[in-house]
Amino acid sequence: MRGSEEYGERHAARVVAVTSARRAARQGFLWGLVFGITIAATELAYLSSFPTEASRLELARSMQGNTGFAAVFGPIHRLDTVAGYTQYKSMFTLVVLACIWGLLIATRVSRGEEDGGRWELFLAGQTTRARAALQATVGLGAGLVALWLPTAVAAVASGSTARVRIGVGDSLFFVTAVVAAAAVFMAVGLLAGQLAATRHDANVLGAAVLAGVYLVRMAADSDAALRPLRWLSPLGWIEELQPLTHASALPFVPIVALVGVLVVAAVGIAGRRDLGSSAFRSRDTPRARTLLLGGQGGLTLRLTRPAVIAWVAALAATGIVFGLVAQAAGNALRGSPGLEHVIERLGGTSAGAVAYLGFVFVIAAGIVAIAVAGQVSAIRNEEATGHLDNLLVRPVARWRWLAVRLTVGLGLVVGGSVLVGLTAWLGAATQRAGLGLRDLLEAGLNVAPPALFVLGIGALAYGLWPRGAIGVTYGLVVWSFLAETIASVTSSGGWLRNTSPLLHMTPAPAAAPDWTAAAWLVGLGLAAAVAGIAAFGRRDLQGA
Amino acid sequence: MNAIRTENLSKTFGRTKALVSLDLEVPEGEVLGYLGPNGSGKTTTIRLLLGLIRATSGQAEIFGLDCQARPVEAHRRVAYVPGEVSLWPSLTGAETLHLLGRVQGRVDVAYREALVDRFELDTARKVRAYSKGNRQKLILVAGLMTRADLLLLDEPTSGLDPLMERAFRECVAEARGRGQTVFLSSHLLSEVEAVCDRVAILRAGHLVETGSLRELRHLSSLQVEAELDGAVPDLTGVPGVAALQVDGSRVSCQVSGSIEPLLAALAGAGVRRLVSREPSLEELFLAHYSGKGEADAG
Repeated sequence: MRGSEEYGERHAARVVAVTSARRAARQGFLWGLVFGITIAATELAYLSSFPTEASRLELARSMQGNTGFAAVFGPIHRLDTVAGYTQYKSMFTLVVLACIWGLLIATRVSRGEEDGGRWELFLAGQTTRARAALQATVGLGAGLVALWLPTAVAAVASGSTARVRIGVGDSLFFVTAVVAAAAVFMAVGLLAGQLAATRHDANVLGAAVLAGVYLVRMAADSDAALRPLRWLSPLGWIEELQPLTHASALPFVPIVALVGVLVVAAVGIAGRRDLGSSAFRSRDTPRARTLLLGGQGGLTLRLTRPAVIAWVAALAATGIVFGLVAQAAGNALRGSPGLEHVIERLGGTSAGAVAYLGFVFVIAAGIVAIAVAGQVSAIRNEEATGHLDNLLVRPVARWRWLAVRLTVGLGLVVGGSVLVGLTAWLGAATQRAGLGLRDLLEAGLNVAPPALFVLGIGALAYGLWPRGAIGVTYGLVVWSFLAETIASVTSSGGWLRNTSPLLHMTPAPAAAPDWTAAAWLVGLGLAAAVAGIAAFGRRDLQGA
Repeated sequence: MNAIRTENLSKTFGRTKALVSLDLEVPEGEVLGYLGPNGSGKTTTIRLLLGLIRATSGQAEIFGLDCQARPVEAHRRVAYVPGEVSLWPSLTGAETLHLLGRVQGRVDVAYREALVDRFELDTARKVRAYSKGNRQKLILVAGLMTRADLLLLDEPTSGLDPLMERAFRECVAEARGRGQTVFLSSHLLSEVEAVCDRVAILRAGHLVETGSLRELRHLSSLQVEAELDGAVPDLTGVPGVAALQVDGSRVSCQVSGSIEPLLAALAGAGVRRLVSREPSLEELFLAHYSGKGEADAG
């Protein structure tokens, strides 16, 4: 046995990189598998849904120039080809997921480690603040590689089949475009982690940036005259890559430049600021505000207020945009057998603006579900950080604490859902779309049940398996989006489709809400939540 | 009535036995020092008493209330101060004290202000701007301000400077004066020796000793040091003598039982100076651990 071990300076400095890389690569690889399956399933779904040349041409004709769909999902090119459809159908979902993952993993390995006090240990070793930030960046790079590899393998394997026939180069370019979105928001997360005082604040800042660039991108795609706006948004640059239709590498220039600038800024700020401080002026001695601190319920409101406000703003903006483009999108939809078939399959019967809204309100349901998954994540973090101990060692019943936290989630879901309907009506009213307020409020409320089901399952997972609750809840949301695509290419499609809560809602306002199905979803969610509360009352508290 | 009573209380984490069949009673008004090295099961005991973790077997009561079945009622009479503090970083010290007092349901406001002054705590700052010591002061004030019937203190002076440690000891003495019960988990033997009526020593999840310091000392050896005029005689066969150390004309040893055989053996060599004293708590504590394996508890 050796008496002592010595490591060189370079080895010691790599500790941060290795630690960050391990965490980022593990997550990146799993997401890469999901991304790869999604791409392959999208390609196969197209072949089965549009088997003939005529059906593909009809799809392309009906969707071409539909600014309503372009605003939400991105530009529409060559839908008469597998490549064009795959780009249109999967790029929106994958890019948004890549952005969210990139942001969260970047703040976790940087500001999150600093919040947890672990960077103090690293910085007491043979490194500096700036070098540690740079090493964390290198670690995140490993995460990008881990994301790219399985996605690329699946995309190339699927694209190379005789029926799909997408070139290896095109597939790799497509995957690289998606991964570029993750890279941009990793850089955003790194910088936000230097500017904000906590990881939570950094996530809120990064999410605000994502919402901002997404809205700019939406505006750019909603009207041909506004198209130059795309160059103001990194999401617009990624769209401009058009990897499977009109591939252009030029937009990589601003993407790479932006990532470089953000990383250099983050590393520079990390080198200049004190550990634990933030670049934004942070008021450490504000006036005490005790209005909401009369008990556990008020504390919950105070702690969740920033996130709730951010989600409410995002949902309001989403509803407004949906309403604004509904009339134009609906007009383009009329007479499209392909799209009418899709609406019919979802249970809709109407055409025009209501058909469009019925289609895109599924997206709103997904956003509400993501918001509610964030609430489950906040609940778990309260326990993992040890903050919950401070309440439960006092006369606070476990069931009451969890019930109050879930009630906040319930309020966010119901309030947010109604708000989507209300703001969509306001947006549509400005375009004289002739949509009724009651119909759109009902349509808004219709998006709540899937999210409430997600909330219930999240609560159950939290009660039974706290350390896995966040993964289970977000996993259910992601699966809800992917289930339709994957189910359409498997023999057991019906069973798989039934596992997605999103697919149990009718496309209101294109069809009347199915309140029976909604009641089942809410009932199952409620039962799961009650079981979760009971399980939470019987288990040990568990730290991170 | 006992403030705390445990019967056959056990906790297992996987294959690790963190606490094994703990039988313990703490009468109302007593200050009990709960001693043990890291990982011996002290914090596990407190978390079981608070109902934060579930017992594998056995029972724990606080003022006759089952800690696992009726935690909320039990917590109305308890204040808890952890050694590792995790508070909401976005709240100020004042906001934290306000919140925790409201959640507890009772606060002696005048005493709270006195505690803030005594611990020299700046409550205007956000928790995230506090040093470890100041966070510890904050949670100490939050615990003491309620004047709870039972104080569960888990290494409460962790991170405090000596002046603040002294202020803490004064607070414990005042609590005892008011009839509050104090359960003080610590590995700072001087702290326990200064404030506790009784001690309980835990090793690897097992309770190995309980009693007052006086009782424990009577059970243990005297420490004897002597300086002689001449050479030290052979003391190896003297009844009760152990841990013998000879340095020229100086000798030190431990004596259990009567000291008379030792005095008789030394008398012939001419005793110039002889000092005997009871063992310190540290020596008592170490006596339970010397030559024994490390604890396996969590």
